[in-house]
Amino acid sequence: MMTFSRVILSALVLGLPGLAVDTSAQEDDLASVSAALAPRAEGLIIARCSVCHSPDLVSQQRLPKDRWMATVDKMKHWGAEISNDESDLLVRYLSARYHPGAPDHLPPFDSELRKAEPLTQEPVQAGPLVGVAVRGAGIFEHNCQACHGAGAIGGMGPKLAKNPILKHEDLFWETVLYGRGPMPAWGSVLSQQDIADIHAWLLAR
Amino acid sequence: MSLSRRAWLGKVLQGLGLSALVSHRPVAARAAGNDPSSNESGPLIARVTRPYDAETPVREFTSFLTPNHRFFVRSHFGPPAPELITEANWKLRVGGLTDQPLELTLKDLAQFERVTITAVVQCSGNGRAFHRPKVPGVQWERGAVGNAQWTGVRLRDVLAKAGLRRNAKHVQFKGADRPVVSSVPLFVRSIPLEKALHPDTMLAYEMNGRPLPLLHGAPLRVITPGWMADSCIKWLTDITVQAEEAKGYYMQTAYRVPVTAIQPNSGLPGTSMVPVEAMVVKSLIVSPVNDGQVGLVPVTIQGVAWSGEASVATVELSFDEGKTWEPARFVGEDERYAWRRWQYVWKPKGPGSVAILSRATDAEGQVQPQSTPWNPSGFLWNGWDRVTVTVQA
Ligand code: HEC
Ligand code: HEC
Repeated sequence: MMTFSRVILSALVLGLPGLAVDTSAQEDDLASVSAALAPRAEGLIIARCSVCHSPDLVSQQRLPKDRWMATVDKMKHWGAEISNDESDLLVRYLSARYHPGAPDHLPPFDSELRKAEPLTQEPVQAGPLVGVAVRGAGIFEHNCQACHGAGAIGGMGPKLAKNPILKHEDLFWETVLYGRGPMPAWGSVLSQQDIADIHAWLLAR
Repeated sequence: MSLSRRAWLGKVLQGLGLSALVSHRPVAARAAGNDPSSNESGPLIARVTRPYDAETPVREFTSFLTPNHRFFVRSHFGPPAPELITEANWKLRVGGLTDQPLELTLKDLAQFERVTITAVVQCSGNGRAFHRPKVPGVQWERGAVGNAQWTGVRLRDVLAKAGLRRNAKHVQFKGADRPVVSSVPLFVRSIPLEKALHPDTMLAYEMNGRPLPLLHGAPLRVITPGWMADSCIKWLTDITVQAEEAKGYYMQTAYRVPVTAIQPNSGLPGTSMVPVEAMVVKSLIVSPVNDGQVGLVPVTIQGVAWSGEASVATVELSFDEGKTWEPARFVGEDERYAWRRWQYVWKPKGPGSVAILSRATDAEGQVQPQSTPWNPSGFLWNGWDRVTVTVQA
């Protein structure tokens, strides 16, 4: 027991100067990094990370970069649908915002999300978007299936095959772009063409 | 689907005690203060909303037994689809290194001798939020623990019926809960045969005299008295007797601690990791509450204390940051695996802010330390408990 506490104590003493170097200038840097990355990163957390658990499991951590990296790698290995670029961006964001010195209470995700900009600022199409069902199948599988089930027959989220909402396109688009309750907002993750493709595929189910 | 969904919701609500709160408890009784459970304070403290993980406000631990709907909730994937665990569909399979594999229904289990044990069940990560440097995982504070009366059958009676082969060394458990994405490892764990054959290790189908609620593992869960709850698999469907420890993430990687103390964030050179098993000695101050106010009059400080495989011998309090300690007095029930309640009448010396510390010592001489050895996943926290109060003139 003695040796235990001595190890802890010396580690704490050694660790403290490290914390003290964390000057307010560095704090500002971290804050500006996280502000710059927030719109995309928060969009990814909602769309990709909340398939298996709510995002509060992410936002309650306060970890150094190496542990964020290990955590995001583990999630990817377990099935989080993120590319290498996306995981780099997430790790940079998470270690800037949820670092060990960050306050216990940070504004909740929602307020960040309201600021989230669409990822793809495509010029407004000249004509209406035409969805391509075969492409929609793959996009659905990677983004929606975990919650809406294979073949869109329902799961943790409602059944989408033959769902009346498919006939109310404005409602469908609104739900998919901005989310609703536990349903993530896809506006900052998928392009409008992607959503149109999913819609076309769903209509054919 | 819609029907079972409603049934499921009903069960979840039942587990949360919402239905009880909403429909059965007359508001007048609560207002009159003659409801024994009037220290219930709103919903449990949710740590993760999906899958639902929540802890009990520590002020509620004035009662010996923690009511089912106030008991902390923890799982990795949330409760299984209700269809899987209805009485008609549910079965317990016992196999592996056995002479005769079994498939048991709840009726079959009722044929075994019925046993009841009051035991503390505590999440291995309870207190994780207090480790420094901080570690990843659900940031539990003090309330991922509870004391309940568990009724069911002895695991060893069930194993005896199946007949153990000579090379049996470990007993593996699997529940009916599943991750949303199938690439996530299942929550499968094992305990050594010695613990499995201990006469107090049981398969529980009742909690505090009621059928096990859905959130607590209906219809059957493992209870390993004295051990942390990572062994207390819920929604149990499969028992497999093996020569080896369970394989997979939740046994081989997670729920392990270093054998010897390590430097925080140092990596683990030369240290081997062992599974989290027995609980460590621990006390909590239940009343007064942290950041509360007391008058300049004698104050009864109340709390609970428990340990792993030994009973609690003493609880002491300090009002001077641990320089001197005063013994508290035990009150109420004294059962082997339950927590022990304690009290201390404190006469504040004057107005101002005071930190009250508590530490327990068990019969084997384990003492609750000022802070717990750092470990990479933040298990087994048992640092001195601390409550700060303002004494008003
Ligand atoms: C395929 C399912 C899945 C996805 C997608 C997923 N996670 Fe997880 N995550 C889990 C599981 C399972 C756990 C362990 C939960 C538990 O112990 O209760 C977990 C736990 C965590 C934890 C707690 C620390 C730990 O290691 O247990 C963090 C932080 C986390 N995830 C972050 C993320 C981030 C960030 C993403 C998005 C890149 C993500 N998760 C996506 C399944 C997933
Ligand atoms: C993290 C889980 C999750 C993911 C991933 C997800 N959804 Fe949802 N979705 C839900 C939930 C839950 C609801 C129900 C929302 C509510 O209760 O209001 C929902 C609702 C919907 C609805 C409205 C259905 C109705 O009956 O009103 C549509 C449309 C929808 N989702 C489309 C999608 C599409 C398209 C994707 C993939 C791009 C997707 N969802 C991905 C969880 C998810």
